[in-house]
Amino acid sequence: MAKIRDFDYEYFIGPQHPGATGNMSYHVWAEGDTIIKIEPNLGYLHRGFEKLTELRHWIKNFPLILRICVPEPDINEVLYAMAIEELNEIDVPERAQYIRIIVLELARLSAYLLYFGGVAGTIGLYTVPQWTIGDRDYILDLFEELTGGRVYHIYQTIGGVRRDIPEGFKERVLKTVDYLEKRLKDYDNLFFQHPIFEKRAKGIGIVDKDAALRFSVTGPNLRAAGVNYDVRKKEPYLIYDRFQFDVPDMYKDGDTYSRVMQRRYEFEESIKIIRQAAADMPEGPVNIKIRNPFEYRVKEGSVYVKLESSKGEYGFYVVSDGGVKPYRLHVRGPSFSHGLQLVRHIAKGTNIADISMILFSLDVCPPDAER
Amino acid sequence: MLKNGVLKMKNEEQIKKDIETTFGELVKVHIKRRHRIKVDAPKNMTLPILAYLKQRGFHQFTLLTCVDWIKKGMFELVYNLYSLDYNVHVLVSTHINRENESMPTAINIYEMAFDYEREIHEMFGVEFEGHPRLGEFLLEDWKGMPPMRKDFDTRAYVEEKFNVKDLTKELFTRKEQPYRGPGSNG
Repeated sequence: MAKIRDFDYEYFIGPQHPGATGNMSYHVWAEGDTIIKIEPNLGYLHRGFEKLTELRHWIKNFPLILRICVPEPDINEVLYAMAIEELNEIDVPERAQYIRIIVLELARLSAYLLYFGGVAGTIGLYTVPQWTIGDRDYILDLFEELTGGRVYHIYQTIGGVRRDIPEGFKERVLKTVDYLEKRLKDYDNLFFQHPIFEKRAKGIGIVDKDAALRFSVTGPNLRAAGVNYDVRKKEPYLIYDRFQFDVPDMYKDGDTYSRVMQRRYEFEESIKIIRQAAADMPEGPVNIKIRNPFEYRVKEGSVYVKLESSKGEYGFYVVSDGGVKPYRLHVRGPSFSHGLQLVRHIAKGTNIADISMILFSLDVCPPDAER
Repeated sequence: MLKNGVLKMKNEEQIKKDIETTFGELVKVHIKRRHRIKVDAPKNMTLPILAYLKQRGFHQFTLLTCVDWIKKGMFELVYNLYSLDYNVHVLVSTHINRENESMPTAINIYEMAFDYEREIHEMFGVEFEGHPRLGEFLLEDWKGMPPMRKDFDTRAYVEEKFNVKDLTKELFTRKEQPYRGPGSNG
């Protein structure tokens, strides 16, 4: 660690949106405008979710648990349901699994659109967030039609989803993803091939392969460092093994540019998955009947379930003592590894003007680090 | 399908065998399912197991968590490690006494344990020997019992902190304001 001298500058970046989708503060020491030390300061969004889940029945946790993450809440619901289903050995109906896939991939698209807008916003390209947030609203419209809620959906339940998809919903999903795919060309012109973006992002905030393994980096950030690892391929949850999709591996530098472009190509793969899921979806029931939800018990045991979220590997460690409430639930958010120890390492020596872009390109989301 | 399943479990079997031969009978290894191995280890063997697994290629420190088994008077610490090559999660679990027992820190083996140990110290009150900075992490000016312990009473805390005399009465029998049309609330 560099020695802090009297004439070095001391900054507080945040807690109001320091380049992360939430309130989080970074304490920065800088020599001129070069960062010599950075210390994350969490606690602004700690709401005690893990404790609150221990006080509620299994089924009553669904409306609570998804509020952990605002940009992509569905992963929490699905993971929680997956944990219960694994402990109780429940077979989820086929149709429900296809609906879950569509919901998860639409959520990934919406999270990526928010991400593109956020990264562009941190370097002053303010048209991009206007466009992406607008396009994200078309996905939120679909969610509103499906579940009644735009951001928080409370759609998953034990052994399936709450209700079947409305008539004509699949066609509207396909229409929306067609539009988004067409729109990517506009984004290429507006943002991904923009000279300012290329100049600002290339070679900045490098997380190489060694650092990625050392700091437990997961998800698109790990793939942008040249490690082709995707939970959907390596440990297919739900029915991801039935779909044809690639994991893009063109980018291996691990810098901010690679991380953004990695997500830009994964966006196309998600669209492929949605098309296949909509085409193959069988008829049938969408959930299983639970006799009395308030007397619903989960078998004793512990389980670690994980899935590939837009930020990285998202996992729940759930312990049940055979009762009507969870005994312990630990949320493993990807931001806990991306936003703390990794930032302490990579932010050293970078310019203070780049720190927001680096943080946003890592997709640090303080809510899932603090819970 | 069965053949495929057996083939895929090869890594898990191999790791199980290796841990058992290296560490002897005191360490219990179960294969829970594909990609998941649970290791129950006594406290003094936990860090050697972590060091051994890191050497075997388990580079990812996925999480460290704590479960409060209040009836047994124990804390269970679970270290979750992952290997990209084997595609296996190993959950190393160890038990320590709830009161007056500390755990040696794992930061010399896995740097990523740094913040997890800070969090568990704050939320459960577990001491990690040799950790350079166990202190305030998420909570601010917290002086009472660590809040994630099972005997922490959230209701009593709310009543005291927000000066609510009777929670059921004050929260659920609040007087309804008459509705005065749109845009007039507050």
